[in-house]
Amino acid sequence: MKILLAEDEPQLNHVITVALQSAKYDVDSVFNGQEAVNAASKNAYDAMIFDIMMPVMDGITALKKIREQGNKTYVMMLTAKSEVDDKVTGLESGADDYLTKPFSLKELIARLHSLERRSENYSTENLQYGDLKLNVSDQELVAHNSIRLANKETELLQYFLLNSDKDLSAQELITHIWKNDPEANSELVWLYVSYLKQKLASIQSEVKILGEKGGSFRLTK
Amino acid sequence: MNIYGEYEPTLHQILDEFTKRLLDLNKKYQTTHHESLFEHLNGRIKTQKSMIEKCQRKNLPVTPYSALRQNRDSIGVRIVCNFIDDIYTCIDLIENMSDIDIITKKDYITNAKPNGYRSYHMIISKTIDSQDIDGNFPGHFYIEIQLRTIAMDTWASLEHKMKYKHDIKNPKMISKELKRVADELASCDVSMQTIRQLIREEN
Repeated sequence: MKILLAEDEPQLNHVITVALQSAKYDVDSVFNGQEAVNAASKNAYDAMIFDIMMPVMDGITALKKIREQGNKTYVMMLTAKSEVDDKVTGLESGADDYLTKPFSLKELIARLHSLERRSENYSTENLQYGDLKLNVSDQELVAHNSIRLANKETELLQYFLLNSDKDLSAQELITHIWKNDPEANSELVWLYVSYLKQKLASIQSEVKILGEKGGSFRLTK
Repeated sequence: MNIYGEYEPTLHQILDEFTKRLLDLNKKYQTTHHESLFEHLNGRIKTQKSMIEKCQRKNLPVTPYSALRQNRDSIGVRIVCNFIDDIYTCIDLIENMSDIDIITKKDYITNAKPNGYRSYHMIISKTIDSQDIDGNFPGHFYIEIQLRTIAMDTWASLEHKMKYKHDIKNPKMISKELKRVADELASCDVSMQTIRQLIREEN
């Protein structure tokens, strides 16, 4: 993982940099918010760690500018212990997490490990259930035969697979899959559930979706 | 010499009669169901050249017996349907014909080939009012039938081109893409069938 660190106190900056490097991370260290914005617009990072109180440009302003540029990289803020507002402002401005100073380097590294786990091991790219395999990025569904799914079908099946053997109402499915689509209704959900039912049958999978029009649905084997 | 011997005219008669029967069946189906059973139909007698090559490839003597008994595709019919369901309706109707016996059935739709090929293959034996190569009366002749959807048919013709073109630059990539497209087309076939079922349920 490549990390951008912005911390103005030279000694703390050095200590964190060395600790991250010894944990096998690739680190770019800068000393104020403006340098952080410049570095973030030039290089790709997997995570960024920003102090809040910094000269030239503070961490919150830097974070806002970086998010304005459309950058969605994971950002952790380093806040002073007493300042609840800093934590709230940081999170509301687009930060993903914060650590209160003084913090232990062990905790910082543990949080970065947790981030790595989330993006790698807990990724829902390849899902398996019974004899069924769904490759989300290829939108490919495999059992005895294979078939390619459309975008919404893939999202819907992914949600079913992450919640197998649970009753899911049409409303829950609309909320999670069709989000802001005002035209989504239980008729549309039924159509997409029907597509999936028939596609599961066409690849002869043991996995099936139970439930009838107007009711709730359950993926099971 | 003719690879089909004295039976070549019989083969043409059988093909014509069987094709006409299927076309009539489609017309009858259209009047009762207001939609077609199949979209179109092709029939052919395997050419002398291909049949001789096939016998040689299989190390069979180049004789009418090899062409009509050892090989079972001298008469070939391809039925191309709009929807997957229609393929199975056609199969039922063919199975119920009194002069037809089913010899083999291979469902490459439910069991697609690894390269993505989908189609339903049948070999049937048709009883006719004249003598066959074994001297039996009534006689028996084989017909090979392939049934598929329009999408499967389009895919198969593209794959056929690739199979017989030996100077393709990146065959591995093309094969992989053909497989992907076959799975996408299968997906559309299933979706269209699902929509048709929903419309029917509403009526």
